[in-house]
Amino acid sequence: MVKFTAEELRRIMDFKHNIRNMSVIAHVDHGKSTLTDSLVAAAGIIAQEVAGDVRMTDTRADEAERGITIKSTGISLYYEMSDESLKSFKGERNGNEYLINLIDSPGHVDFSSEVTAALRITDGALVVVDCVEGVCVQTETVLRQALGERIRPVLTVNKMDRCFLELQVDGEEAYQTFQRVIENANVIMATYEDPLLGDVMVYPEKGTVAFSAGLHGWAFTLTNFAKMYASKFGVDESKMMERLWGENFFDPATKKWTSKSTGSPTCKRGFVQFCYEPIKQIINTCMNDQKDKLWPMLTKLGVTMKSDEKELMGKALMKRVMQTWLPASSALLEMMIFHLPSPSTAQRYRVENLYEGPLDDQYAAAIRACDPEGPLMLYVSKMIPASDKGRFFAFGRVFSGKVSTGLKVRIMGPNYVPGEKKDLYVKSVQRTVIWMGKKQETVEDVPCGNTVALVGLDQFITKNATLTNEKETDAHPIRAMKFSVSPVVRVAVQCKVASDLPKLVEGLKRLAKSDPMVVCTIEESGEHIVAGAGELHLEICLKDLQDDFMGGAEIVKSDPVVSFRETVLERSCRTVMSKSPNKHNRLYMEARPMEDGLAEAIDEGKIGPRDDPKVRSKILSEEFGWDKDLAKKIWCFGPETLGPNMVVDMCKGVQYLNEIKDSVVAGFQWASKEGALAEENMRAICFEVCDVVLHADAIHRGGGQIIPTARRVFYASQLTAKPRLLEPVYLVEIQAPEQALGGIYSVLNQKRGHVFEEMQRPGTPLYNIKAYLPVIESFGFSSQLRAATSGQAFPQCVFDHWDMMSSDPLESGSQAAALVTDIRKRKGLKEQMTPLSEFEDKL
Amino acid sequence: MDLETNYDITATAQFIHTHNFTRVALQFPDNLLKDSTRVVSALRKSLRSLREFDATRGGDEKDVGLYVMADTAYGSCCVDEVGASHINADCVIHYGHTCFSSTTTLPAFSVFGKAPICVADCVESISKYALTNSKPIMVLFGLEYAHSIQQIRKALLEASMSCRDDLKSKVHFADVPSSVMFPSKDINKSNGLQELNGDFSNNACSDGANGTGYSIGGLTWKLPEGQSMEDYLLFWIGLDNSAFANVVLTYNACEIVRYDAAENRMLTDLSQQRRILKRRYYLVERAKDANIVGILVGTLGVAGYLHIINQMTELITGAGKKAYTLVMGKPNPAKLANFPECDVFVYVSCAQTALLDSKEYLAPVITPFEATIAFSRGSQWTGAYALDFRNLINKPRHEVEKQEEEEARFSFLQGGYVEDLDNEEIAEEERESLALVNATEKALQLRDNCNSLVKVGARSGAEFLANRSYQGLNMPNENTSPEPYIIGRQGRAAGYEDEKNNH
Repeated sequence: MVKFTAEELRRIMDFKHNIRNMSVIAHVDHGKSTLTDSLVAAAGIIAQEVAGDVRMTDTRADEAERGITIKSTGISLYYEMSDESLKSFKGERNGNEYLINLIDSPGHVDFSSEVTAALRITDGALVVVDCVEGVCVQTETVLRQALGERIRPVLTVNKMDRCFLELQVDGEEAYQTFQRVIENANVIMATYEDPLLGDVMVYPEKGTVAFSAGLHGWAFTLTNFAKMYASKFGVDESKMMERLWGENFFDPATKKWTSKSTGSPTCKRGFVQFCYEPIKQIINTCMNDQKDKLWPMLTKLGVTMKSDEKELMGKALMKRVMQTWLPASSALLEMMIFHLPSPSTAQRYRVENLYEGPLDDQYAAAIRACDPEGPLMLYVSKMIPASDKGRFFAFGRVFSGKVSTGLKVRIMGPNYVPGEKKDLYVKSVQRTVIWMGKKQETVEDVPCGNTVALVGLDQFITKNATLTNEKETDAHPIRAMKFSVSPVVRVAVQCKVASDLPKLVEGLKRLAKSDPMVVCTIEESGEHIVAGAGELHLEICLKDLQDDFMGGAEIVKSDPVVSFRETVLERSCRTVMSKSPNKHNRLYMEARPMEDGLAEAIDEGKIGPRDDPKVRSKILSEEFGWDKDLAKKIWCFGPETLGPNMVVDMCKGVQYLNEIKDSVVAGFQWASKEGALAEENMRAICFEVCDVVLHADAIHRGGGQIIPTARRVFYASQLTAKPRLLEPVYLVEIQAPEQALGGIYSVLNQKRGHVFEEMQRPGTPLYNIKAYLPVIESFGFSSQLRAATSGQAFPQCVFDHWDMMSSDPLESGSQAAALVTDIRKRKGLKEQMTPLSEFEDKL
Repeated sequence: MDLETNYDITATAQFIHTHNFTRVALQFPDNLLKDSTRVVSALRKSLRSLREFDATRGGDEKDVGLYVMADTAYGSCCVDEVGASHINADCVIHYGHTCFSSTTTLPAFSVFGKAPICVADCVESISKYALTNSKPIMVLFGLEYAHSIQQIRKALLEASMSCRDDLKSKVHFADVPSSVMFPSKDINKSNGLQELNGDFSNNACSDGANGTGYSIGGLTWKLPEGQSMEDYLLFWIGLDNSAFANVVLTYNACEIVRYDAAENRMLTDLSQQRRILKRRYYLVERAKDANIVGILVGTLGVAGYLHIINQMTELITGAGKKAYTLVMGKPNPAKLANFPECDVFVYVSCAQTALLDSKEYLAPVITPFEATIAFSRGSQWTGAYALDFRNLINKPRHEVEKQEEEEARFSFLQGGYVEDLDNEEIAEEERESLALVNATEKALQLRDNCNSLVKVGARSGAEFLANRSYQGLNMPNENTSPEPYIIGRQGRAAGYEDEKNNH
């Protein structure tokens, strides 16, 4: 029952005011995909009857098996509004037809990079919250992410059916629960004050909150009921809506509205009286098969059933009746159409977030106006594996202009710098495709405001890119996405049969493309490394690698490996000196730990090598207490020229110092990448060049003399400054009932975790626990926790910070020393650390 | 063992005498230099007696000039032809460890030296190893043990008599065909011993009905038709030196054990050696990302080195990278760090000095074989490995077709696609566009060089220099008046006078 054809769809794509790009976001298992399916059912891709049972959006076998979404899926929906319902719509529109580009995203935190990718190309978000579980950890995370991207949210309180069938709560209690859910969500949103975006909080009485039962395919907003009752009470629809929520009570006996409960048994809250009770009544009647009572009620509500549907019994009947009465699709789609912005509205304020270049050039202007005649600006947010092996669709959003089949485009990769040729390709689009769940339709072109899949560019895009017209050489790229998770868990993979190596290489290449977060690299030792956000993420990635990208060739994976960082605890106990190989040059240096928060500031890019030195020294002196002049003497950051370590020049009046700067910097990039302890990256170390003695002849103080010497003196100063290891730590959030707390604590204790917050969720028996857990201990944590709490606790781990290990790695027998030995062994280095005497020289 | 036998004086004298060489260079590695005078006098004595013997039969009287060469500029395992040509020598006697790389102009005679070995223990190890494994065994050895191989062979034969297993058919020995080497005039059709080096596949060449011949570092052996090296277990007698590393890398698909003759024990755990191969794989991946490549010439003697340098230059420029050629004897980290602009070095040298442990080096050092994999698009790391660059010369060049639909290169170091810079394209563009337009364009570009601490990867040496914060002395000095004089530092480099007080 496909309601629309590609041509029909293409026609609506031109009406930029009638498009809604939105993503569905929520905590894991709050019913995103089920709800999405009922929307897809209404848009006509699959038959209405199977909606709720078959998850249309989960297209992978393992997703269906695990019952979770792993990859985000985009679907285009078509919805025609009636004139009557559009009566109160104030915004611009072209006719009554609407196109909704919807992206269903995963709820598990390991896959939240998929959510990030989805948010980038949408303007609005449907936040799904389980009415019983309420706002959970991931709900909060993704909501914050959405608001950070200037995505306007609407809320749906889902799984309403549980209230009626499972928990059988009464009206007032249910209202309180819903009220709390909405409040919790609003608390998060309230922190995002944004004059351009306006008020982002949601209010049931304004129609930005829906109540839904995804599994049964019904939903309503207060608008539905307000329409029903407005004429009856002879009031305005909006007035009626306000009465249906909040402190508005109605007593049928007196037929009076009050703002407080009068205490009379017949006096009930508006919402309970007019929304909750009628639904409850209908459901109960259906479930009890009281058909004689049911039909008159339905007639009163104006619901007509087909004769064969009248034969249904019990739950099936209830489902059918509710779907007919309050179809989920119309309630939700109307809410989106009314309250979520069209691309042309959203891009007006999102351009600031999106465009990297000057906001007054023609590209910014075209994005702002969502101008189909303007220059092409298209952001590819992810790559989707195509059915022909090894190829990918580049999936993204057209922000301005049009993309068409055969068009020659400039592909600007993530490392592209305007004006340079790095990471830049000019290729032509083979095909433009609109992506609709399992079906793809080829179209001639796609105008701005829409999502699109492109064929033929996959060999030039790793994960994401900005596309423009071939001629637009002065365009800046669209800002890269910022992910909330980072790939901290790594495994080494190798193929079982050595001759499969080319397959592995090809497979890793494809894997890197297929997932926004996974990173495929190679270690110094020659091992291929796959890094992911968490255990589950890696598991899925490796399965994909073996089955899909390598054609089933067997791979062997190592145990998960965690990377550490090397830092120092104190200032070097003395100024250390190293001599150059020719003994004619001497470098004197000290290492000290950076001020608290400075390394993080560098990580976040608040302070970086590209800053204006004046601005940098201002921040450093004001926030970190640096000397103003000293702040101007930073030689470099490292590793990779932007890491959280520094070299500062503290010398006074040294001759030829500027000559050796480049050599010292080169030595520093090298040393900070491979620390002295275990060749892990350094972190939060500030090296101070105290003095240098150089040979008077330039030939004797060249790079060959200085670079190796600088490296040695960096190591020597690190080793004299109480070196320590930093380990990555997860922030774990667990939601569990009280009786499971004991189990949670004992598992956390075993794993060196510590709880720093325990809070009861208001109005629920559930507790929210926040704890820190070393990443290295997190393997198998989920399953152990499940075992210890008989499945009641569900943890969510996100990399949070680097934590210093207190034990001294230089003291043999300590925990850190054992760890260093392990790392060195794995890397194939000498098990014994190189002693300080190798790096430091005596005068 | 006395000097006479250890240094093969008689055979050496015989060689010199039969070929009528008059100026002979004796090349000693540093560790044997202490014996050189005694060797010379022994050799002289031996030659004199030969000459006297000749003179009695009426030969012409000629004096043979013997010259000791020490301190080779390149690897001491190769014949130092440049050094020898300084004295117009017409032959080189090479002492100590040798790699058997063929020479270009001079004939050479190699004296391996004779390291002590306990034959009985070695034989026992071999037979024990043979009994525990079903595959046939190929015994390879360091050349310093070549003298006792016959003995080992015989002893093994005797041992197999007493033992029910037929060791003779299971254990095979490599041969040292000759210690004399004549220069190969044509590298593609080398003669004598070197002919076996011709083909690429595992140093093997088909020899018709006799099976396949193999040769590595002076050892040769033949396998029957239809068998490859993977069907054999390798048994190495000797030290864990570069010759052994060469064997391990070249035959990385075979199981290899090493018998250490100095300690009389067998070592089966060679995971460290296996790691080398993986490490080389990493270096190849890293080389792929390089923009500037230094071709490091580490030999001026090994046959075909000029050819391979040209081939490398072509390969590197063909891959859109910049190549610089550097001649450097015995590279070390400090020497190479004088060229920080090079992202990777390709080291052209003999097979046994080709592997430089790159950990201490700022930029990795790879072999020409690895460079071929890294810089020709489409070639893959298959596990086959060759250290001797002569194997590359005959290899048909991997033609890269520039297609429109060519895929961007995936870099495993960066975990994404990277674009290979095309120097030719850039040069072309610059030629086409007007110089004036170019200049004004650049004049108007936003320059943040002075403030930024970020260095972008340079594409050529000139660009690298432009990115440096210090580019040499500034000639137009702002201050034209003479500087007042100041008192400089005093003392010696080991510690100037002003320093002693402070530290």
